[in-house]
Amino acid sequence: MTATPTFTINRRQILKLAAVFGATATLAACSGPSLGAGAGAASRAATDWTGIVPAKEITWWSNHPGTSKLIEQEIIKRFQAENPEITVTLVTAGANYDEIAQKFQAASGTNSVPDLVLASDVWWFRYMINGQVLPLDDLAKHLEFDTDDFNKTLYDDYTFTGNHWAIPYARSTPLFYYNKAVWAKAGLPDRAPKTWAEFDEWAPKIAADGGVTPLGLGKGASWAAWWFCNMLWGQGGAYSDEWTMTLDTPEAIAAADYLQSLIYERKVATVAAVDQVADFGAGLTGCIMGSTGSLTGILKAATFEVGTGFLPEGPEGQACPTGGTGVAIAADRTPEQQLAAGMFLKFLTNSENTAYFSSNTGYMPVRTSARDGETMTQVYAEFPQFRTAVDQLETTRSQDWGRVFVPNADKELTTALEKIMLQQTAPAEAFAVASTAIATSFDENVSPYL
Amino acid sequence: MRTIEDLQRDTDSAVAVAAPNGAVGAPLTPAPPRTFTPRRKKKPWKSWLLFLLFAGPNVALLIVFTYKPLLQSLYYSTLQWNLGSASAIPVGLGNYVAWFTDPGTARVVTVTLIFTVATVGGGMVIGLVFAVLLNRKLHGRGAARTIVVAPYVLSGVAVGLLWLFVFDPNFGITAALLDAIGVASPPWYNDPHWALVMVIIVYLWKNVGYVALIYLAALQSVPRDLLEAASLDGASPVRAFRNIVLPLLGPTTFFLSITTLLSSLQSFDIIQAMTRGGPLEGTTTMMYQIYQEGFQAGRAGYSSAVATILFAVLLVVTLIQMKYVEKRVHY
Amino acid sequence: MATPSLSTPTRRRKPLQLGGYLGLAVAIAIMILPLVWMFLAGFKERDEIYTVPIQWLPEAYDLSNYAAALAAVPFGSFFLNSTITTVIGAGLKLLLGLTTAYAVVFLEFPFKKFVFGLVIFALLVPQQIVMIPNFTLVASLGWINTYQGIIVPGLASAFGTFLFRQHFLTLPISILEAAALDGASHWTRLWRFIVPISAPTIAAVALVSIVSEWNEYLWPLLVVDRSDMMTLPVGLMLLQNNDGVTNWGVLMAGTVLVTVPVLIAFFALQKKIIAGLTAGGVTG
Repeated sequence: MTATPTFTINRRQILKLAAVFGATATLAACSGPSLGAGAGAASRAATDWTGIVPAKEITWWSNHPGTSKLIEQEIIKRFQAENPEITVTLVTAGANYDEIAQKFQAASGTNSVPDLVLASDVWWFRYMINGQVLPLDDLAKHLEFDTDDFNKTLYDDYTFTGNHWAIPYARSTPLFYYNKAVWAKAGLPDRAPKTWAEFDEWAPKIAADGGVTPLGLGKGASWAAWWFCNMLWGQGGAYSDEWTMTLDTPEAIAAADYLQSLIYERKVATVAAVDQVADFGAGLTGCIMGSTGSLTGILKAATFEVGTGFLPEGPEGQACPTGGTGVAIAADRTPEQQLAAGMFLKFLTNSENTAYFSSNTGYMPVRTSARDGETMTQVYAEFPQFRTAVDQLETTRSQDWGRVFVPNADKELTTALEKIMLQQTAPAEAFAVASTAIATSFDENVSPYL
Repeated sequence: MRTIEDLQRDTDSAVAVAAPNGAVGAPLTPAPPRTFTPRRKKKPWKSWLLFLLFAGPNVALLIVFTYKPLLQSLYYSTLQWNLGSASAIPVGLGNYVAWFTDPGTARVVTVTLIFTVATVGGGMVIGLVFAVLLNRKLHGRGAARTIVVAPYVLSGVAVGLLWLFVFDPNFGITAALLDAIGVASPPWYNDPHWALVMVIIVYLWKNVGYVALIYLAALQSVPRDLLEAASLDGASPVRAFRNIVLPLLGPTTFFLSITTLLSSLQSFDIIQAMTRGGPLEGTTTMMYQIYQEGFQAGRAGYSSAVATILFAVLLVVTLIQMKYVEKRVHY
Repeated sequence: MATPSLSTPTRRRKPLQLGGYLGLAVAIAIMILPLVWMFLAGFKERDEIYTVPIQWLPEAYDLSNYAAALAAVPFGSFFLNSTITTVIGAGLKLLLGLTTAYAVVFLEFPFKKFVFGLVIFALLVPQQIVMIPNFTLVASLGWINTYQGIIVPGLASAFGTFLFRQHFLTLPISILEAAALDGASHWTRLWRFIVPISAPTIAAVALVSIVSEWNEYLWPLLVVDRSDMMTLPVGLMLLQNNDGVTNWGVLMAGTVLVTVPVLIAFFALQKKIIAGLTAGGVTG
């Protein structure tokens, strides 16, 4: 028997091949992006919208926040009933905001760019500095969007250099959820703690009489650094002042110290392994800070009665960030397509559809008229928990640039917070690493394009 | 029986990668160079043209989708380029400097090393143990072999998701089993070290059957009489295994070390489905970093620099493996 | 650790045998338990999943989680897309491997060794290293969300070429000499003489290509962004984030839908698939 196969490539051949590549490496330089400073968003000439005929077909990329695919399809159906000459194609372009953003950035310069795209709080700014989205003010004026009716904080979240770059759509805030059965066992009043100081008083009772870990905390990207805004701002701190990181201030350190003490000194909080909402729903924790977008999901999942309340106040008062996603129009499309996209965007965010979307998902009604309208009033009557979320909206503020406008900033902050929560790293140390990294990323990825 | 290979063997002064199924004790004797086809010398260009027709499409695809992008990647690594942006700024070696000076790089390298060594080394050890077990004359070993290999054909994403639930520290089986013996579930998802252990376990679960299978085939080709001779000499089974079987498995081990190294370094699905590189970036390998920086952070230039570094390392490691084998494995 | 059965003396056989069975049982349990857990979870209601201590068996075997998974994402399209990309991708890859190996073994060419080296060296280039340029290229061709976009960049055959070449080198000369004397063209020689006697190797390579195409995740994730064009692994991940709350029941039902067809095919074709996997490592 003579079967001795040989893999006929040896080192010399590999080295030879490598040499060939090295020699021809320069050839590759003739493809890819053009060289030079960033094209920037502002350099685009304004379009005169009068006299433009809307395109017949537009595409909308969504991940259907809050399992809203059917709702979105219904709104499209209504739009096409009113505008039979425009066809809107709804595309599931990813499972979450990050995947949508990844696809949208990657598709830049190709013909697979959508007309409308979801632009979440941590992504719209990237789209803008890449020159991928259209400033909307002129178009909104031309189409009479009634922008004054939008919740001001939610609308102005998308402002930069005097322009709005997206329209609020599936907007959420963190909300305090508590297990009413546990509260009753612990003999607490049926409401959320007004302040963190009050929570501190209650926590031992929840642990002793309620028999559960009082507070469940969530980790992970796009999440930890979001709810932490509450503690941070409540102490009078912030991630950044415009582009300057301010995590070394005593206020920021105090906020992180407080968070750490909840876990390690007082042992009244635990960091969930996979999903803090699921743990809460299973009755493992007494209360959590969750997204308002999870409201319907939590009410469905929990086997006990769920109470909601404002996020607890810090020494410096109430502090709650906004979040979720808006919708933007791609810059890289014809004015006809952009006009049609604008028409659909106006329809999508009108008072009636805002209420329809909100009432079915649990996202915030982004228009004042929708918030106070009949549809929502009925929802509040059925789910008083929803009312809390909407009331809390009045106390929200836009997020710090140092988290949402710098690439990788959320990731760095998440890592810092995870170090603080999971490894008991000194806050000053963890924050210093994050601040340096974010400052570098700003210099590299943002400032050349401003 | 004369085969084409007998004719061509001499032309390859090369390293054997694949395990020789029956090569034991049959040392290579170089044959004089001969080629098969051109008995009747025809116009050579006709054969050339045919060669181009037959091999051309494959080579063209490789050039367009493997070699050209390899060079492009090298070029992109010298740019500060946001994916999605139409323009970029040349920064020379800036991305490389940035990677080597980044405080997080040490961690990424450590994670990559641990993951690679554990999955490649651990996989070979466990795979060999399985193979030895499966090579024994036991009832049901055929079925057992099939079951051990089954996870290898499953999608990495599906495997990751199902283990995500298995490892859930509250609702998963590992928690229940550990609880039964009075041990608390480790913080698989909250501790970067345990998370790394977790993804390694899952990777091994999925891939170890393949290693076992290859070793099993090699074991089955070990001639019985060789072992019987050893046994007559009074050698214990353990010694016979160490002194006779293991050396014979050398080429197989070498083959597996290269193939499992390549697939381990490319593994992405399981990490993406289970940890997305976290917590605390404790499961961010260089491969995951390339994806994360390139497509999530959109730093295409930086990502390309990391990719280039990884490729260079891979090349060097493979060359060392080959050099080592040239010296050590003789057959 | 159990020791191999190397002509063991009879008196030692019993305990060794027992140890062997124990080892085998442990190995099988480790491999099977997670799969069983997945199956059971697919039938469980929320409150049966989120209980401490865990509940092993579901109360009822109803399919509501499956219905929910099918309603949430278009599994039908995923299945179709996976099938199309796998069949076309693996088929063409096989063809390219056969013709390239044939050329390398049987045809004359001045830079033959270099060409073969070029093919084999590609095995050392991980996909992630070329993904950004390839993505840019595929996007500029307008191939995003198309089958060719999913298939073509990974089409070239390196490993298959290598295996076929190994196999061709072991073929008996007599057959090929007969074919050559017949005056058959190379194309005919390949299909009439070589392919039939190489059937086991071809089946082996084909099955391995099918498995890897079917499970491919990263590349389709990058080039597909509409759910109706997604393949099963990419589509499955949509379930993970579809609701505000992780719903293990639905997620596991979806995972079952992705894994079970493959498991069935594997158990049905296990002899061939195992032969195929083995051929990758052991030729001869």
